[in-house]
Amino acid sequence: MRTRLKDVIESLVFVSLEPLNLEKIKNICTEFSNTEIEQAIQELLESYASNDRGIQIIQVAGGFLFSTKSEYDQWIRRLLSLEQKSKLSHAALETLAAVAYHQPVTLAEISALRGVDASHSLKSLLQKNLVKITGRKKSSGRPLIYRTTDKFLTYFGLNNIKDLPSEEEILKILDKEKILD
Amino acid sequence: MEEARDYQVNLEVFQGPLDLLLFLIRKKKIDIHDIPVATITREYLAYLTQKEKINLEREGEFLLIAALLIYIKSQMLLPRESELEDEEDPRKILVDRLLDFQKIKAASTLLSEKEDQQTKLWKRSAPPSLPTTEDTELVEVSLFELAEAFLSLMKRKEQENIRLIHGKEFSLEEKMKELIDRLKEHGYLDFLEYFNSQESFEEALISFFCLLELIKAHIVIAVQDNLFHSIKVWPKQGARP
Repeated sequence: MRTRLKDVIESLVFVSLEPLNLEKIKNICTEFSNTEIEQAIQELLESYASNDRGIQIIQVAGGFLFSTKSEYDQWIRRLLSLEQKSKLSHAALETLAAVAYHQPVTLAEISALRGVDASHSLKSLLQKNLVKITGRKKSSGRPLIYRTTDKFLTYFGLNNIKDLPSEEEILKILDKEKILD
Repeated sequence: MEEARDYQVNLEVFQGPLDLLLFLIRKKKIDIHDIPVATITREYLAYLTQKEKINLEREGEFLLIAALLIYIKSQMLLPRESELEDEEDPRKILVDRLLDFQKIKAASTLLSEKEDQQTKLWKRSAPPSLPTTEDTELVEVSLFELAEAFLSLMKRKEQENIRLIHGKEFSLEEKMKELIDRLKEHGYLDFLEYFNSQESFEEALISFFCLLELIKAHIVIAVQDNLFHSIKVWPKQGARP
């Protein structure tokens, strides 16, 4: 029975466009107990971790998703006739980092952190659905407050906002730069 | 000044004034906590004056930091009655900002590395076609997208000929009822179509308020098959096929 549940979950993940989380799986597989489901997921992940296929199951934004493995990127791009996937601009990345590490945050706060006006890059991040407006700050002017989205997590392959590079990793980079100087 | 010529770098390569300051500090191998303000200000201004004209819109922020540097220097020159304590170092405001900025810059480098890794992973971007419904790729829209669609609509409405103002008054309740009835009848409604069918600007505005209220009350849900496409409104329980 358990092996079949594993296949059920595999097919659910296959059909999902967005990361499929445990909650959803439980809601769908009502005839199975939570422990059975969690066990089946473990088996599924293990079978993918140990097999040699072109695709894998990744854990992002709190859910499971199929993706190709990075080493096959160049062939996929050939198939799709794509030179390079478009990437975020330097300004957009900086703004995104400011939002991610200081959220909930206002435009004025982001601009102050970066030392430049961030309204343009913030707008394009909103359109890309990488940040969202979550309300207004209860201070003068009632400025909008921004947070990162689940798509942000998926985009950077993070399972959880806590998976952002830690303070130590950041300091390590800064040390490295100091040595290079 | 020969040194300055070696570093003929355009302001454009810097992500703002803090970036330029960091560059100067690193170049001089200065401890960020102990910045010789006069030297750095001189170098900083040298960069600004490399440009013949300052574009206030683009480089206004550079001037702002220049002013801050000069202010800090003036504070340091002023005689004090009592000795400065560590926390009162006038450079502290700048140092704190630089440290924060430095972290963000490093974090954005790390994010960029992650982006590089992730762009090599390909995920499915379209669902297998489902026979039951024509709208398969629905995403819930944010308030931002809803408001944007509404604005583009209002712009379109504005361009229409001005008509006589009807003395009709609309009540939120009536409109809400009308909206719900329509949803019950058709199952869903097309946001743009619905507003286009509204007679006046006022009526459309009220409908929009109603819609926002209904979404807030979780009675309906607004979905969009793709960015910039039309937004569809469904009753909440039947939102997804």
